[in-house]
Formats: sequence, C-alpha cells, structure tokens
Amino acid sequence: MNYFAGLDIGSTAIKVALVNQEGDLIGMRVTDSGSLFHKNAKEALRVLLEQHGIAREEVRYLIATGYGRKLFKEADDSISEITANAIGAHEVGRAFGGVRTIINIGGQDSKAIQIDATGSVSNFAMNDKCAAGTGRFLDVAARNLNIDLEELGDYHFNGKGVPLTINSTCTVFAESEIIGLLANSHGKEEIVAGIHYSIAKRTVRLAKRVGIEDRVYFDGGPALNKGLVAALQDELQRELVVPEHPQTTTAFGAAILARNEFLSGNG
Amino acid sequence: MLDRIVDDFDDNPAAMTYFYDLFRRIYCQGEPVERKGMQVGTTCIHAPEELIYAFGANPVRLCNGSYHYDQIGADFMPAKSCSLVKATLGMLSSENVIPKVGKLDLIVNPTTCDQKKKASAMMSAMGYAVYNLELPPAKESEAARVYWQRSVREFTNQLRIVTGKKLTKKNLMAAMAKTSRAQVAFRTLHNFRRVAPSLILGKDAFLVTNAYFFDDIERWTASVEALNIELAQREKDGFCAAQKKAPRILFTGSPPIFPNLKLPLVIEEAGGVVVVDETCSANRMLYDMTSVDEWLVNDMVDSLADKYLKPCTCPIFTNNDDRIRRLLDLAKSFAVDGIVYQTFAGCQVYEMEQRSVADALNKAGFCMLAVETDYSPDDMGQLTTRIEAFLESIKSRKRKAA
Ligand code: SF4
Ligand code: SF4
Repeated sequence: MNYFAGLDIGSTAIKVALVNQEGDLIGMRVTDSGSLFHKNAKEALRVLLEQHGIAREEVRYLIATGYGRKLFKEADDSISEITANAIGAHEVGRAFGGVRTIINIGGQDSKAIQIDATGSVSNFAMNDKCAAGTGRFLDVAARNLNIDLEELGDYHFNGKGVPLTINSTCTVFAESEIIGLLANSHGKEEIVAGIHYSIAKRTVRLAKRVGIEDRVYFDGGPALNKGLVAALQDELQRELVVPEHPQTTTAFGAAILARNEFLSGNG
Repeated sequence: MLDRIVDDFDDNPAAMTYFYDLFRRIYCQGEPVERKGMQVGTTCIHAPEELIYAFGANPVRLCNGSYHYDQIGADFMPAKSCSLVKATLGMLSSENVIPKVGKLDLIVNPTTCDQKKKASAMMSAMGYAVYNLELPPAKESEAARVYWQRSVREFTNQLRIVTGKKLTKKNLMAAMAKTSRAQVAFRTLHNFRRVAPSLILGKDAFLVTNAYFFDDIERWTASVEALNIELAQREKDGFCAAQKKAPRILFTGSPPIFPNLKLPLVIEEAGGVVVVDETCSANRMLYDMTSVDEWLVNDMVDSLADKYLKPCTCPIFTNNDDRIRRLLDLAKSFAVDGIVYQTFAGCQVYEMEQRSVADALNKAGFCMLAVETDYSPDDMGQLTTRIEAFLESIKSRKRKAA
C-alpha cells in the first residue's frame, strides 16, 4: 500500500499525520518536541507506523513543516507551516461547508490566514516576535494559578463574576499581574476568563489584519481549550469551526500535499 | 554574513569578486579605505554628493547595517528606535569605525526623520563637526523649493569654509561627470535585472550599491562596468542565475545595508529573486541622474538642489504619492510577482505608509508582504517561515492561473 506522511515539527510539539492513497486520514500522533526534536520526530513517526503496522518503505512521500522542517533531512520536501495549515484546513473544512479564514494559535506564535475558494493562501499575518497571546501565555498562566492546562476550560465557565481585565500583553508582565490579582483574592475562575479574553482580543486584532471571512477555522493546541474558544467566538461575534483534532491540521495538510505531489508525478 | 552571501550560492558573477573582496577587506579585516582628500560623512541620500566632490572631498554614507554597532548605539537612543540610526551612532561612538575611512572632517545630517534629527546633537556630543542640512517637510510647494535651495547654498558655503576651497564651474562639472558616469553604470545594471530569468541575484546588487557608500567612486564605477559586461555576456549565453519560475520580488521600505542583508537573503535562499528595489540604499540613491544645464555656478547649485528634492520618494515627506507611482511603475516594468516591504522596528514613517502602499499595489493586482524586523538575528526562523509562505502562495496562484 502507499501512504503519505506530514510531519509538523513545532516549537512545543511534534505532530505526525498519515494519509492513504485516497487522502483519508489513517492515523496521527502528537508528542513533545523536547530538546532533541530531530530524534523525537523520527521516533514519533516510527511509533505511529508501528501502531498501524505500516513499513517505512510504504510511506512514499514525506513532507516536513514547522520550525524544525529544514533540519529533518529524511523528508522528501519541506513547506512552510502557513501553506500546510491552509491545505489542511481547506480539506477538513469541506465537511463544514468550506472555510476562508484560519486562526492558528501555536506554542510560540499565532497566525491568521486567509484562503481563497481553492485553498490557496491569499493573505496572512503573524504576531511579531513575542509570546503574548500564544500557547506559551496559557502555560505560564496555568502554572501561576497552579492548575492544569486542561482544566482552564472548566474554570472559564465556572466563574461567578465578570472576567477580569488583564492589561499586560507581555507574558512576563502578565505573570506578575496574575500574581497580583491572586494576592488581592480574586477568583481563579475570573482570572482564567480574563486571560482567555485577553488572548482572544489580540487574536481578533491579528485576524482583522488579514480580513475575516466566513467560515472561521480555529486550530492549534489551544483550540482544545473550550474557554478560549468561547472567548474567541464572543470577540469575533461569529461561530468558529473547531476540528476534532486541532493540533494536527498542519501535519495533515503536509500529508495531503505529500500525497498530491506524489500522485501528480512530482515525487 | 559575507560567507552566506558568497558561498551559499553557485554561479556568482566573476566580476562580483571585486565587491566580495572589498567587503571582506573593509568589514571583516578592518582595512582602511583608500581615498584621497577630505572625508565628509553623510547620514542620508539627501546630501548632494556632487558638491562634496566638487570641493575635492569624498562623501561617505554613514548609515550602518551592523548589529554589533546597533547594540552599542542602544546607549544613546531609546530602546524602540530604528536600528539604522542606533547602529550609525554606535559606529561613530566606537574607536574602531568600520568602514575605516579616516578622520571625518564634517558630517552632513539632512534633517529628515525625527530620529536622524535628534541623532545630530548626539554626534556633536561625540566630538564630530555636524552640519544640519535643513530639509523641508514637504516637497511640492514653491516655498519648500526655495527653502531647500537656500539650504543647499548654505551647505555649499559650509563646504567652502571646511575645505578652504572655492566652488568653480569647472570643479562642479567634473564632479557631476563623475557621479553621472556612476549613475549610468548603475542604470545599465538596473536594466539588466529586467531580464527573465534573472542574470544576477538581488543580494549581489545590494552589495554593489552598498559599496557605493564608501568606495572610491571611480574604482566603483569601473567595477560595475566590468560587471555589466559580464551580464551582457550572460544574457547572450542565455545564462540563468535563478530558476525560471522563481518568484520575482520588488523590495521596498527601510534600507538593507551590509551586513544586515538578512531579509533579501532569506528571500533568495527560499527560492525567490529580488529583481528590483525601491530603497535609499540602492535604487533611490542612484537612479536619478543629475543632468544640469545651467551656465552660472550658482544656478547650477540651485538646479542641483531641485534634482535632490523633487524625485525623492522618501516617506518623510508629507505627501508622497510619488512613491506609490514609482512602485507601481517598477512592479509593472520589472514584471514582478510580489512586493516585500521591510520596516525597521521603530521607524514610524515607513510603517505609516505601509497601508496606503499595500492598498495601491493590491488594487493593481500585486500582492505585498509587510515585515517588521530589526538588526538582531533572533527572528530568522519567523522571517523564513513568512517569506516561504509568501513565495509558496505566489507560486500556487501562478500555477492555478496557468
Ligand atoms: S529613509 Fe529617507 S531619511 Fe532615512 S536615510 Fe533613507 S532617504 Fe534618508
Ligand atoms: S528607516 Fe526610518 S527611522 Fe530609520 S533612518 Fe530611515 S526613515 Fe529614519
């Protein structure tokens, strides 16, 4: 059998997706990048193939994406995560009637991408150089509040008061602001909601730079956080399309591209 | 940086060796630049260099591109200021000024953007003789023209005092002949870049114009002419310096200055090719020829002044529709596929013009990527991702259109 793989080597997580000849998703895997991300990426691919009883030779074409894409020399080709994300979201989005705007929040950056009806990128924007409003921001906040990352969503909805305002956009300053709010005995729930709204506001500003068109697709690890999804929908005043596996859209896009390249004879 | 510019690419033109060696000697090994006569530093293209040459002195453009000096310069300027200005101050403040042009007898500082205006006092405090060449904030009105002509006349006077020489028609004519020969060589190079597939990469073209900042003008011109002969041969042989489908890019915004050629390099490492630019470290500096046909030396100075004001497309001017017109013209006549707009973090004027430029280009069917960056190497990863995505989107659009 022929299989095609997309490997998304991000700053915090490695994502692998595997598709078959028809372009159907066969399997995927998400692991931490760690410091030896090259080794971890290879390992992630190996484990995924083993789980599905697929031999490495059956993977006919592999495309790497994400920050570590250039360093993964075993790949047949590499592509920027923006293009890969667009391809993935376009494919997944079909089931929802098509998407035109993608909001991606990653470990250390956030992006907004606008795609046309064919799935080509027509415009995009990224946050400049700073971890504000990214997954990293949520990590730091969760750590300061002493709660698990996965619990953030629950806290968001359990608040009794209004969400607090977090003014600092910088992760480092926000950290001390959160500590200050805690010291003033504000509820964790209200703080969490405040953090979500602060990220949502920044993200919407970014998305406005590329232009927001229906439907809006939201992916990346933080899209698993229901509280953040709700805050973002509020700020956007629109429904979001959140895929079942928000972390692997980009890897899936790379796998789809790998398949297309191979079948069109470019491989 | 130089190694990346030279060794990471195959097929560099042989005539580029002069420029690679020049930068290696001057920047990497800190050798002095050989030039006779007095040295007059300039901080912007608005200082008329013909006048400086006419007084037997050499202009040297002080705008600096080094991250090392940028960090030193951070002691003088607020943290959020433009890298270019910080690096220039950092260079001037250090004992080891590179490029080593020798003692600066004068620095001409055209009063352009706020940061350059304010840098003036800091340069004076370092012990330099600084002359503020007053530039009007607008360029269309008759009042601005008269104001600027008077500034340039006063500058001429200042040069007379500093050099102890007189301005004569003969000297000025000779100076203009020198610069116009350089401009002709530049234009020829510029026109070779229209050819598709490209004969020369943008990183080399930037290096050539960068050398103009400090090199002996006659040596520089001769080296560019040699390069042009080689490019003519390349054209005849059907040589390609870039792939046929490589996206052709117009580069505009804050000026790339060696060693900060990171953005043009990222573009070309990702498979694009910078075929033309609209920046004051290259095209804007050398494009406009100063042909003056007055008889009296004072009238010559006035009409020289005009040539420096009217065609300039710098964003510091109140109205700058000329820049948009020029960009559209370049984008069309060089058949570009996209525009990359660089803004140095802290540069307000370029950032503010970004939107209107993007709107105008989009309306004409061109796509533009705006990038904010500075001299630090931290954002290389992010820049690469953005540039690659931009080039990929150009390619996929072209594929679909075909
Ligand atoms: S950007 Fe404008 S003011 Fe600044 S150096 Fe260039 S021409 Fe001069
Ligand atoms: S890039 Fe902007 S801030 Fe920097 S010198 Fe030029 S005009 Fe001034």
